[in-house]
Amino acid sequence: MKGILPSLLLRPDTFFSERMKEPENLKIPGIIAIAGAVIAAAGSYLISGIYEGIFTAAAGEGMASLLGIFGAVSAFFAFIIIWWVVFSGIFYLLSMAFNGTGTFRRTLEFVGYGLVPVIIGSVISVIISFYYLPMIEVPVITNIQDPAAVQRVMSGIFEDPAFREFTQISAVISAIFLSWSANLWIFGVRHARVLSLRNAIIVVLIPVIIFMIYTLYMAFIGSPFAGGS
Amino acid sequence: MEKSNIAVISALITCCLLFPVVAAQETGDGAAAQITVSGVDINPGIFFEGDTGIITIEVVNNGPESVAIRRATMYDSDISVISSSYDTTTTVGAGNRMQFTFTVKADVPPGIYYPSFSLDFRDAGYLRYPVQIRVENDPLAISVLDKPDTFSAGRKDRIDITVGNPRDNPVGSVIVYFRGKSVEPAPSSYFIGTLNPDQAQKISFNITPGEPTNLDIVVDYKNGVNPHSAVTTLPVAFGESKKQAEPILSNIIVEYKDGKYTLTGDVTNAGLEVANSVVLSAGDGAEPVNPYREYVVGSLQPDDFASFEITFLSENTAQVQVIVNYRDEDGNPSVRTTPVVIPPKTSAKENSPGVSTSIIAVILISAAVIGGAIWYSWKKR
Repeated sequence: MKGILPSLLLRPDTFFSERMKEPENLKIPGIIAIAGAVIAAAGSYLISGIYEGIFTAAAGEGMASLLGIFGAVSAFFAFIIIWWVVFSGIFYLLSMAFNGTGTFRRTLEFVGYGLVPVIIGSVISVIISFYYLPMIEVPVITNIQDPAAVQRVMSGIFEDPAFREFTQISAVISAIFLSWSANLWIFGVRHARVLSLRNAIIVVLIPVIIFMIYTLYMAFIGSPFAGGS
Repeated sequence: MEKSNIAVISALITCCLLFPVVAAQETGDGAAAQITVSGVDINPGIFFEGDTGIITIEVVNNGPESVAIRRATMYDSDISVISSSYDTTTTVGAGNRMQFTFTVKADVPPGIYYPSFSLDFRDAGYLRYPVQIRVENDPLAISVLDKPDTFSAGRKDRIDITVGNPRDNPVGSVIVYFRGKSVEPAPSSYFIGTLNPDQAQKISFNITPGEPTNLDIVVDYKNGVNPHSAVTTLPVAFGESKKQAEPILSNIIVEYKDGKYTLTGDVTNAGLEVANSVVLSAGDGAEPVNPYREYVVGSLQPDDFASFEITFLSENTAQVQVIVNYRDEDGNPSVRTTPVVIPPKTSAKENSPGVSTSIIAVILISAAVIGGAIWYSWKKR
């Protein structure tokens, strides 16, 4: 792992071409994906701390802790499914339009390698969250049974300047590191699906750019959400 | 001789037969002297105007012989005698007593009257006896000894009164009770019983008014068999007591923090009475939230103070009401509301963190490193 990282990040074309000579192996990509999932879970747990005060006041401390654990578990599986399986599936399907060959398992393996920059970005976002989260002023909920009160509290959180700023910065970092992952995926998909470089760029950039635009749009214009994973 | 003896005996017998008739004749003449009035009972002792009463007259035969009475009656030009006369002939034996009862009605103005009792004897003579009847209209006197200066809705206050009998005769079945709209008296009534002349009875009771009204203190009593009432009206006016506790708020600081307003301050009892169970909470314009929806101060002596803290939410208003609930020594609840100006919520969020230089640096460095890595990966592929 120590030796392959520089090669993966700086010379992905060479890295993936060498991997193609070896049998398909999901062990290291799986470890990478799980590491990313753990970082996402940690980030989600930290974010849930914002809501902890709300639910502690309204439903007790046990409920608040349960919410944090539920958020962490959800983020864990969401990272693995969305960032690894779904992106691999999209790349696999899109590459079929360019007569791509190669197994889905190989695509899954190379996409897993390409998650390393996204994980680095997640770590940076989690670190930045330590700076912003204490500044977020969480409104107090009066009655958790009242949907209007819950909505008022959620709006209050989203309108909080610190929360908005954290969301936007997190989205920008996510986009920057996603572009790096996209660069790795271009070479990965090219080798995994035996595509031309042009076709590999198309296959990778279409979903990545759509996802990136959506993320930035939601962070800066639409309803903000907690990014960083 | 025998003939003369027989004649003497016959004469004696004749005399004996004739003599008692003469004696009886003499008794009839002296009957008025033998019969005297031994007692007069008047109930009630003193009449109200319009009262009905009973006069009982007892006569006694002080002579050695029975006296036949033909008629007993009572009459007066002012006092009405309701009952009938005794028109049946009867006899009062020697040394015996006999009572005659008459029902009268005093439909006369206050004063002293003398209806006459008349006893007519069968054989000769009569007896006249005037009976004194007094008519006075003095009712029982109700005096309010102590009462609060002002009343408050829902607050229980004590009232002390005395009920006195200024008449010269006792009155009976004296009951005190209270009338008034939205007034809850306790006890609801008070039974005194008999009040003798110049006697007074002290009574204490509590009322809990619901609204300003008039409280009627009613004393029902009986003069003989005649029911009477005395009423005193006490106005129940609402207002602030001169001595009542006055919790005053001071040193108030309002901050918006952690998504809620936190109001701290001191509450001082500026009144002359103790304020018990002092509880502070946010009222109109505010929605209390944890952790200090309400703050219990407890008891505050006059001139004593305590700090408090309450937390609340507030939307679209610049002023909220702080409610101080407290109770007096008797547990009567009172409420005092103090308006407090709160700072706009936006001012609390003005301290927007702003993107720090280090974060901008991290983003730029990350972008530069990633750009370089991408450029390198394409160049050295």
